[in-house]
Amino acid sequence: MKDSLATAMFSEATSNKFILFELMNTTYGVRSAFVRRLEMLENITPVPNSSATVEGVVLSRGRIIPAVNLRTRFGFPKVPFDIRTRLVIVESEGRTVGLIVDSSREFKTINEADIKLPPEGITNLNGEYLEGIATVDGRMILVLSLNEILKVGDPVSEATIDLSQKEQSDQQKVRTS
Amino acid sequence: MADETSDNFFNEFLDDYFAESEEHLAIVRNRLLAIEQFVGKASVDSAHLDELFRSFHTLKGISAMVGLTPAEELAHKMESYLGALREGRISLLPEGFEALIEGTRTLEKVIGAYRNNESLPDIDRSSELIESLTGAKPQTGSAAETKDTEPVTETGKSTTSQQWRFVFVPGAVHAAAGVNVNSVRASLQNIGEIIRSTPLIQEGEIAFEFIVVSDASETDLAGLEKSGLTFGPLVEPSPESEVEVAGGSEPSTATASTSSAASAFVRVDLVRLDQLMLFVSDLVVSKARLETQLKSMRGSISDRDWRGLQEINAAFGKQLRDLRHGVMRIRMVPIGEIFERMRFVVRDLSRETGKTVVLDIRGADTEIDKFLVERLMDPLLHLVRNAISHGIEGEAERLAAGKSPAGHVRLRAHTAGEVVVIEISDDGRGIDTEEIAARNPHLQLFDAAGEIDAPQLLKIISTPGFSTRDQVDRASGRGVGMDVVHQAITELEGTVSLETTRGEGTLFRITLPLTLAITDALIASVGGHMFALQQSAVNEVVEIDPKSIKIMENNEIVLYRNHVLPLVRLSNVFGYEKKESGTLYAFVVGSGSRATALVVDKVLGLREVVVRSLTDPLLDIKGIAGATELGDGRPILILDAMEILSVAATN
Repeated sequence: MKDSLATAMFSEATSNKFILFELMNTTYGVRSAFVRRLEMLENITPVPNSSATVEGVVLSRGRIIPAVNLRTRFGFPKVPFDIRTRLVIVESEGRTVGLIVDSSREFKTINEADIKLPPEGITNLNGEYLEGIATVDGRMILVLSLNEILKVGDPVSEATIDLSQKEQSDQQKVRTS
Repeated sequence: MADETSDNFFNEFLDDYFAESEEHLAIVRNRLLAIEQFVGKASVDSAHLDELFRSFHTLKGISAMVGLTPAEELAHKMESYLGALREGRISLLPEGFEALIEGTRTLEKVIGAYRNNESLPDIDRSSELIESLTGAKPQTGSAAETKDTEPVTETGKSTTSQQWRFVFVPGAVHAAAGVNVNSVRASLQNIGEIIRSTPLIQEGEIAFEFIVVSDASETDLAGLEKSGLTFGPLVEPSPESEVEVAGGSEPSTATASTSSAASAFVRVDLVRLDQLMLFVSDLVVSKARLETQLKSMRGSISDRDWRGLQEINAAFGKQLRDLRHGVMRIRMVPIGEIFERMRFVVRDLSRETGKTVVLDIRGADTEIDKFLVERLMDPLLHLVRNAISHGIEGEAERLAAGKSPAGHVRLRAHTAGEVVVIEISDDGRGIDTEEIAARNPHLQLFDAAGEIDAPQLLKIISTPGFSTRDQVDRASGRGVGMDVVHQAITELEGTVSLETTRGEGTLFRITLPLTLAITDALIASVGGHMFALQQSAVNEVVEIDPKSIKIMENNEIVLYRNHVLPLVRLSNVFGYEKKESGTLYAFVVGSGSRATALVVDKVLGLREVVVRSLTDPLLDIKGIAGATELGDGRPILILDAMEILSVAATN
């Protein structure tokens, strides 16, 4: 399943430019074809009773969109936002969503051939959010699978439950490891 | 012929066709009702007949244009019948009138089916019926034929530049040479600007007329004739004088005076209006921003400058409101359009059921959004049908109950603030609540005082599959009616309520928001967060002294105006911190025994806000209707009061 998705992503994507961002001192990349813009995070309004991963809503170019905290999404501990915090506005399948990341400052061209499937061992952590792992100039870049990140599930409540359970187990793993 | 035109090009005409045919069918329905009084009389009011004749003539023409042969054929036969009536060769007998009604209904069905891509209904019965009544055919080409006054969409009538009129008749020869309407259009675009393109019917053949503004001289244009185009300079106001198309020797009697009345209206694409509305919304936001900025300048400028700015700002505010209302008004159409259609339904049903029913229409000039009109048709239809087939009693039963022999169905509409209220009532037997209660013993239909719980009753009869009738009759479906009504109204963000009294009648009240885009909202804060609530949902804002709150089991209540008012704390619903001290404020939502107070920490004011929908599935949260922004870039959630109450109830 993951393989087929990854393959589909490879063959569909014409761009091999990636927007890079940092999360927990790790570098991630998202295909620039999906990225609309980067914004400073200001004026975020929390949404009560929403999924824990939804930090709130923000106004971006006249539209009010959800902002997903990628730290929460990956089960990492939350940190206060600061001046380096960025909102990566992505667009996929008609949806526009902001991803909150620790920082984002560069973009890079990566050869598709350099993107390898994530090793089996990390699948239990957050591997399913990954399309692959690339090594460029001795740096490791985790390439995000946007579709997985934005997945809500149907019905929403079930997804939220699954997610929180998963987050808990993830967090436990983080702590134990 | 459709295959010779490109799909896009043709679809544009199809949309026009449906809009056009709808208009004419509406005219036909009205006029038919108007001539009913002449049935059996020696002659019929000629103004009505002329109008009917023209409408069928147009329907015939435009149906042929889109290749909808059954509609064309039927309209033609009805036109012939009306022609015979007009000439006094026959008189209007009851069976003739019936045939006209029947034919119109069939025509409607054919066009409807075509629109929905369904298989076309059979026209034979209607067609033969009307033909058999028409009698001997007059010679074709008699003065009875009116000239073709085909629909045109005017985009401008500049008389200063040279306008050329091109006519293209598609044919097999041209198709083989690769010439079609599209290529013709393209080549015309090369020589100038096409300001109007109109499909024409000439002796049953499709032709396309293009009006082009061009600097080109006649000799420049001569080359185009090779591609099957005929052309000439456009001469206003009688472009008919130069029809070069084959067979165009139709005699014409001028009827232009009446048809030109229609050109005072412009048909506008709703998408364009929405765009305009969006621009206005942006302006409202900029205005709010300006106001915030102005406020921060107070004190740093002289009082005189401050007052000047305030004045301009106030004027700007007023103009913006006017603009907003103006744009909104373009979208508004009188509800009478659908009410009038109901006349037809009532007439039909009263015939079918043998009941005499008088339809009383009030507030037909109440304007509602065009978007709503289209979606209100089905619910209204169901409610009117229900009123007649279930509500109104037979004559004997009415007389026995001391009522007038004729039943009354009343349609009313009025606007109240931000909502439009539509009422459908009858003076029939009322809903048999006892029977429903007997059938649903597990449901509490009556309260302690024996009063019927109307919302509960409405809920039951709106359940899919509900029917009080053991026998299904044609008039009102199989118990799907109220279900459809409820769903359709909910989708329009409206509500339905019900009042019924045994023996006296039933009233359904539909409440719809006038428009959703911009609304007045009350801004409040809870646990340090700001929220907005549509003002129209709030009956009252009240102050609550925390000491006056009584606790009953798990519920907080206050006594307010001698009524017990349950409290729902938004801080609870949202899991925010409870305000510990000081006066609380509450929005009273819902009415009567359902009134509930939504408790907030503070009311910050009333603002005009632009409602933005939250479409992302991540934000599909019960109780949150949308969001807005007050000009400072910070989103504020707009709450749905009713949903909040139901969330609170399930917690």
